[in-house]
Amino acid sequence: VNLAHIDELDRIEMPDGFVWRPVRRHFGIKAFGTNAYTPGASGQIVEEHTETTLGHEEIYLVLRGRVRFTVDGDERELGPGQLVYVRDPSLSRAGVALTDDAAVLAVGGKPGEPHEVSAWEYTFSASPHIRAGRFDEARRVLQEGLEEKPGSPPILYDLACVEALAGERERALALLNEAVAADERFRAYAETDEDLASIRDDPRFPR
Amino acid sequence: VSDGYEILTLSEVEAFPHREGTNLIPVRHTLGFRPAGVNAWKADAGGQVMPPHEEDSGNEELYVVVQGRASFTVGEETADAPAGTLVFVPPQVFRSATAEEDGTIVFVVGGSIGEAFNAGGWEAFSIADWYRQEGRIDEARAIMAQLIAEQPDYWAVHYNAGCFESLAGNPDSAFEHLRRAKELDTEGASAEYFREDSDLDPLRDDPRLEELLG
Repeated sequence: VNLAHIDELDRIEMPDGFVWRPVRRHFGIKAFGTNAYTPGASGQIVEEHTETTLGHEEIYLVLRGRVRFTVDGDERELGPGQLVYVRDPSLSRAGVALTDDAAVLAVGGKPGEPHEVSAWEYTFSASPHIRAGRFDEARRVLQEGLEEKPGSPPILYDLACVEALAGERERALALLNEAVAADERFRAYAETDEDLASIRDDPRFPR
Repeated sequence: VSDGYEILTLSEVEAFPHREGTNLIPVRHTLGFRPAGVNAWKADAGGQVMPPHEEDSGNEELYVVVQGRASFTVGEETADAPAGTLVFVPPQVFRSATAEEDGTIVFVVGGSIGEAFNAGGWEAFSIADWYRQEGRIDEARAIMAQLIAEQPDYWAVHYNAGCFESLAGNPDSAFEHLRRAKELDTEGASAEYFREDSDLDPLRDDPRLEELLG
């Protein structure tokens, strides 16, 4: 039986202080978007955000512990077996764990469209490896992302950063130029990104 | 409650008896969630959590034990699943679960790979069917009408409305819905149901069914 307890899933510390537990990636689910979250040091369990860009409807189900959600400025305290369904993607939502054992399952997607895996699942998974200098691990995660989403500009860009940090100048430049060709926005990011410092003097660096 | 969001307590939602002794908490139907199939099942110790079944090709499902404890059978394997356990079942694999504790609740998320989620409204049909058995025909018919209004071009909702009227003893109305289902089902997905669905048994002797099948 392909099962996992929430506590057995990977723990990926996110910048906002919450811990992402990749559910979709763990099981290789392709049909829908789902993830779980547990609190980090800050107590945050669902980052404050809207879904305006992706147009997602989201459900946040408390699996364990107590969580104070703030949706559209309203505060609601929920326990196990309670959920909040945010229909309107433009509403701001956030969750703070009131107990250390809290766990939240999120399910979301854009109505009327097939589920598409988000690049952030891979870039965020790779990020702790990059910061810790575990370049092989970071490469493995990002390559997995490229297999799922061939040509994805944010994944190509992050892979370029890994290669630049690892001293692989040729690979880094090729990946970076591929990312910029696919999405112009990465030209501006590349200009100031510390991770790319080692290759910025190269004439092939996108400007 | 604002228009933009809604809070739901699974244990407080009215659960409906579904097939094989199961009890459905119709989450998606209650909320109107659209991106994926979401529902929950509740059972006491020894009870069937969800009906034993396989999903069609392409349909993935994730079961999450929210409260209590369940024993899952997937394929030929069995596993203990306390609260906080997630069980993934790929398409076309047999799955069943029984509750190991009273008040067990299992949440389920489902969808089809590469396809936009299409509710089809089986939960609503199950609720309508329960109302029909309870003699609450008007409430049942209102649910069917709402389903058709939501997805007027989807054959399955018309088909289900036909089944409902068949079981409710209104053959004229049943055939109206079934004809519409047949028209909309351009890929012939309904043929098997028309032939084998016991919901249509009250119509089997009616020449109009033969006409539709022909």
